[in-house]
Amino acid sequence: MTANAMLWAPEAEAPAAPAAPAEGDEYEAVEGLDRAGIECTRAFEAVAAKKTASDYAHIVWAYGVLWSLFAIYGVMLWRRGQRLRGDVQALRARLDAKK
Amino acid sequence: MARTLPILLLLAAAVIFPLSVRTIFLEVGIERQLGTVQKIFYFHVPLAWIMMLYGVVCGIAAGVQLRRQSRMAEAIAIAAGEMVIVTGIAVLVTGPIWGHASWGKAWTWDARQISTGLLWLVFVAYVLVRRYGAAGSERLAAALAIFGAVDVPIIYYAVKIWKTTHPSNEVVGTLPPEMWAALWPALGALLATATALVAVRTRQELVEMDLDDVWVEAEDVKGEAT
Repeated sequence: MTANAMLWAPEAEAPAAPAAPAEGDEYEAVEGLDRAGIECTRAFEAVAAKKTASDYAHIVWAYGVLWSLFAIYGVMLWRRGQRLRGDVQALRARLDAKK
Repeated sequence: MARTLPILLLLAAAVIFPLSVRTIFLEVGIERQLGTVQKIFYFHVPLAWIMMLYGVVCGIAAGVQLRRQSRMAEAIAIAAGEMVIVTGIAVLVTGPIWGHASWGKAWTWDARQISTGLLWLVFVAYVLVRRYGAAGSERLAAALAIFGAVDVPIIYYAVKIWKTTHPSNEVVGTLPPEMWAALWPALGALLATATALVAVRTRQELVEMDLDDVWVEAEDVKGEAT
C-alpha cells in the first residue's frame, strides 16, 4: 500500500478507533496536519522526485556518450598503432630479404 | 618524453576523474533554477573549451605547415583536427541533452549552436581532405583548418552579437567558488585525456610519414637493382 493510499484509506478499511487511553497511557493528538496539506506535500514531492530521476537519466546519457566517444577514439588509435607495427615488421622483413 | 607523456596524462586523468565525479555529485549543491540536470554543465563547458582550444591549435599548426612544410606541424594539425571532431560530437550531444531537460527543446537553432555545428563540419571536411585528398590538397586542407580556427571567436562572441538561448559568457566568471571547485577537476580530467590522445595521434602520424618515406626508398632501391 502506498503512502497516499494509507493516508486516504476509506473509513470502512480504517482500523477501529483506539480505545480510550488507559490511565497513565495518554497520547497527544497530532495537530497542524490536515488532509489538503499532506496531499499537497506528497504531490510536490512526487513532482520533485520525477524531475530528479529524469535529470539523472539525462546526466547518465550525457556522461555515457562523452566517455564512449573517448573510448571509441582510443580503440581506433590502438588499432592504427597495431597496423603501423605490422607495417614496420613488413618493411623490416623486406629489408632483411635484401641483405 | 613523447612516449611517457600520454601515459602520464592518462594516469593523471584516471586520478582526477573519480575526484571530479565525487565533487560534482556529492559535494557541490544543486543549482536552484536549473535543478540536478545543471550538473551536465561541469563537463559540457570544459568539452566546448577543449574543442575550441584544439580548433585554434589545428588552425595555427596548419598555417605553420603551409608556410614551413613542417612535418611536426602537419602531424599536430591532423591530430588536433581529429580531437575537434571527437570533442565536437560530445559537445553537440551533451548540449542538446541538457537543453532538452532545461529548455524543453534539444535544439533551438541559436547562434552558438549553429557556429559550433559549423566548426564541427569544417573540421570534418579538413580531416576528410587530409585523408582522401589528391596530391596538393594539403593547401586546401590548411585553408579549411584556418577558417575553422576563425570560427572559434565567433562561437565565443555569438551570445554577445546575437540573441541566443545560451546564457552570456559572464555567467562562468560569476560562478560561486564551490562550482569552480567542481569545474576545475572535470576540465583537468578531460583536458588530460584529450591531450594524451592528441599526443598519441601526433606520434602515429609522424611514424606513418617516416614509414611512407622508407617504403618509397625501399621501392626505389628495388627498382634500381632490377
